[in-house]
Amino acid sequence: MAEADSIQEGFLCPICHKDLRSANNLISHFQDLHSEEKDLLSSIKGIYGKVKKKILTVEDQDLEHFKNEISLQKEKYYLEYSEPQDPGPAVSHTEYFKSVRRDRLDHRTAETNKLIIRLDRLLRVFASDRKQQEQELVAWLDGSTVSRCPSCASSFNITRRQHHCRLCGSIMCNSCSYFLPYEIAQTIVTPLNSGSSKEQSGKESETLRICYHCLDMLESRRRVQIDQVLQPIICQLYTHLQKMKIQVQGSVDMYYKIYNSLKSGESTYILQDLQSLRNTIADKAQMIDTLSKKIDSLPVDPETPKSAVLQTGIRKATSSYIKEELITLPPPPTPEELEKTKRERLAKVKVDDIPVSSTSIKKVTVTTGWSPANVANESTVSEEADPLLEQMNIVRSYIKQAREAQRFDEVKSLHENLNMLKDMYKKQLGKEKH
Amino acid sequence: MNVISAVKAYVVKMTSESEPGMKILLMDKETTSVISMVYGQSEIQQKEVYLLERIDSANFPNSTGLRYLKCLVFVRPTQQNVTALCNELRNPKYGAYYIYFSNIIAKADIKILAEHDEHEVVKEVQEFYMDYLAVNPHLFSLGISSCLSSLSWNPPALQRTVQGLVSVLLSLKKCPVIRYQANSSVCKDLGTRIEEIISKESSLFAFSQTNNCLLLILDRRDDPITPLLNQWTYQAMVHELLTINNNRVSLSDINGIPKELSEVVLSVEQDAFYAKNIFMNYGEIGTNIKELMDHFQAKAKSHQKIESIADMKNFVESYPQFKKLSGNVTKHVTVVGELSAMVNKFDLLDVSEVEQEISSQNNDHHGHLQGVKKLINSERTRDSDVAKLVMLYALRYQNYNNNDLIGLVELIKRRSVPGRFLKNIVNIIEYAGSHARQSDLFNAENAVKITKRFIKGLSGVDNVYTQHKPLLNETLEDLVKGRLKEQLYPYLGNRGSGRQQDVVVFIVGGATYEESLTVHSINRNNPNFNVLLGGTTIHNSTSFLQEVDQATRNVPRKYTRYIRNIQFD
Repeated sequence: MAEADSIQEGFLCPICHKDLRSANNLISHFQDLHSEEKDLLSSIKGIYGKVKKKILTVEDQDLEHFKNEISLQKEKYYLEYSEPQDPGPAVSHTEYFKSVRRDRLDHRTAETNKLIIRLDRLLRVFASDRKQQEQELVAWLDGSTVSRCPSCASSFNITRRQHHCRLCGSIMCNSCSYFLPYEIAQTIVTPLNSGSSKEQSGKESETLRICYHCLDMLESRRRVQIDQVLQPIICQLYTHLQKMKIQVQGSVDMYYKIYNSLKSGESTYILQDLQSLRNTIADKAQMIDTLSKKIDSLPVDPETPKSAVLQTGIRKATSSYIKEELITLPPPPTPEELEKTKRERLAKVKVDDIPVSSTSIKKVTVTTGWSPANVANESTVSEEADPLLEQMNIVRSYIKQAREAQRFDEVKSLHENLNMLKDMYKKQLGKEKH
Repeated sequence: MNVISAVKAYVVKMTSESEPGMKILLMDKETTSVISMVYGQSEIQQKEVYLLERIDSANFPNSTGLRYLKCLVFVRPTQQNVTALCNELRNPKYGAYYIYFSNIIAKADIKILAEHDEHEVVKEVQEFYMDYLAVNPHLFSLGISSCLSSLSWNPPALQRTVQGLVSVLLSLKKCPVIRYQANSSVCKDLGTRIEEIISKESSLFAFSQTNNCLLLILDRRDDPITPLLNQWTYQAMVHELLTINNNRVSLSDINGIPKELSEVVLSVEQDAFYAKNIFMNYGEIGTNIKELMDHFQAKAKSHQKIESIADMKNFVESYPQFKKLSGNVTKHVTVVGELSAMVNKFDLLDVSEVEQEISSQNNDHHGHLQGVKKLINSERTRDSDVAKLVMLYALRYQNYNNNDLIGLVELIKRRSVPGRFLKNIVNIIEYAGSHARQSDLFNAENAVKITKRFIKGLSGVDNVYTQHKPLLNETLEDLVKGRLKEQLYPYLGNRGSGRQQDVVVFIVGGATYEESLTVHSINRNNPNFNVLLGGTTIHNSTSFLQEVDQATRNVPRKYTRYIRNIQFD
């Protein structure tokens, strides 16, 4: 590979900057070490950031080739791509489900609320004659007839004594009791946990003896509260990521709209619109990419191995989204191509619109500028006297501003306005001629 | 009537109804297959579904959850699933649940579920009718490998088939008129059950256009030939020689196969080359594969010319596509390479020629017998091919006076063919001998057919290996012309008005890919007609013979006692 040796500085790996000496080596190196999981975008940016604009406009006919590649001409019977269709019928049981659930849960909710009110009162009880006060708040079950623990069925005796749940007053043995720490109880009663906890600081290590039933109800209430408040970092990052995706999708849709409009020779948009949009999309793609990497590298709690899978899943989905939707945008047409399509279209328009006088067409198709002197020469209308022309000028300046701000929807609707004005102006001219 | 689009539309609805957010999809064994037939993992990830979980896996109840995930549940309405869901709802692992059943579910089950939702985590409970495997746009399967026992319905299989078919009809919004194969009690049983459901769930089937669709129920036993033949179109050939299971082909048996190719996915939706070549014959695929290779090599070459920054950048940017293309090329080259290796190794062209002659040419007993004998004596021919040839012979000449089946059996016994193949010969006749068929599979040399053959002979391009046309071809052509005999295919209940142009053909005992091609070409040639094919499963010869074996187990021999040299123990 004598030839390759002489230009070896050209065969740097785009990712690890290693000199591979020959094109073949480089390709195999790239395939082996930098599989598609590696970030292609940033590698491009890393090396060529400075010449970004130039790169983004380089034509990629290659991609066009790829798209057509397996459309082999020979065909007899084959399967076409399935067009989307409306979903079939669906029967919803949600209403029925909810009504059954409501009947059942109303009872539970009421019970839980009752417990919380009692808990609130119990928390206000202070040390001295606590037991008595607790019994005043919640009537304790009479234990004289209860010989066995209702939950584990062990018989009570001198070593296994009866205990009462402080919340519902029911009886259980010591091993069936649960102990609710005061500070947790406090957070259940006042979820937002404002300064009130400090008042109770004296009771920090104390607990309330309760039964499983009450614990379960309080726990589920507490869980709902926690879920409402707690938003793990991954959720925030993900919401941000999705927001960015929606934004960039808007830009991509607009890109195709402008692209098609240019391709068909319309003059609503100009080439620079497309290029600036392409740059915007590339920037956003970079941001989305970074965000998804951040999600992927979040620390994983060993107790929830699923979150690791989830994070990789998000990263993978994002990188294939970028690959398939964002970096495969068709390159903007070259100015020559554009001129050609424009001319073709113009020729077509001329053929189509024979009845309209040719002079007025010429004037209307001038979109680059307008000078009052020009018009004065061609028509009898004086410049200040025609509000239409003035209006048209204003609209043109709006278009310019909108374009600078990348508000392409507005550019389009302003163009429609402009065309309407032009039509009116044309008619007016026609009338005056007669 | 496109089943792939129908399933996709439901999945799109499912993922969009649950609002944006990270999602997990909880499924059972069967619904996993339903989804995987139409979506790859990367596609489903684009719908924010990042995790997949099986409700029926052993460690599901004890696995940890993530409260910030939304859980889409898509399961069949079975008792086990309802119970598992109840347990899940009592201790929910995820923040919200959107429950979709793949079929009609009893109200009582909804009530039980609702009673267990103490944490109010369930947001939706719906029925989405996708209880079937969408194989191709015009082909579905129910994944039931064996549906008969003692030659009548195996009750769970019947139940599953009824559910599957009902869901197909619902997902396509069709309330059909039903016709069935007259001599088959299993077809009638199935038709009757479908009819019952349609009238019981009349509100569900109240589509604006009723009776514009025909459900034609056929019995595999009327055409036992098609699943026995070697195939030469791509999809059918891959299934016959390598076996396609839910769009996946296992290549792990091939020597020295790299790990990433041990299982390949052949999906019409994700693989354009496959979609284009699915019905191409062996020769055409060879040509197309070569074109694909050339194209790929040209591409690879252009990548090697990396001399400037622009080249480099082109390379990097087009790399994902390049990689994808290279994966696709490798896949198809491997598959076709394996097919061609098998064709050569086992003389499949010779085998197929004899198969085709027996199955679709005029009576030529002597010639056919010699052809089979010659292959029995060939060492390269596989035991299974030899046995299938004898089966074809046995079916064709079952009632022929000079039938030499006993002699053939002696011959293959001398080859020491495994005992199961001998049993297959007896079983297939008990299963689908002339007593079980209503159509004339072999001797239908009526005037029309003779003329057709004559014309074909004139044009002289008929491929020796693809002469055979499944019986279904004739049935559908009769149907298209409005000549399908009512006495052979009677109506069940309401016969509707006018001719139905949407036709769902369902084969009890399994359809084949050859029949799928038949249906596709009927659709192509009759733009007004729209035929959808389904079967309890999609057979190749191996799976078909297993089904025959199951169906005839413990059935006393009635029609094969004369084959004295095959004895069951």
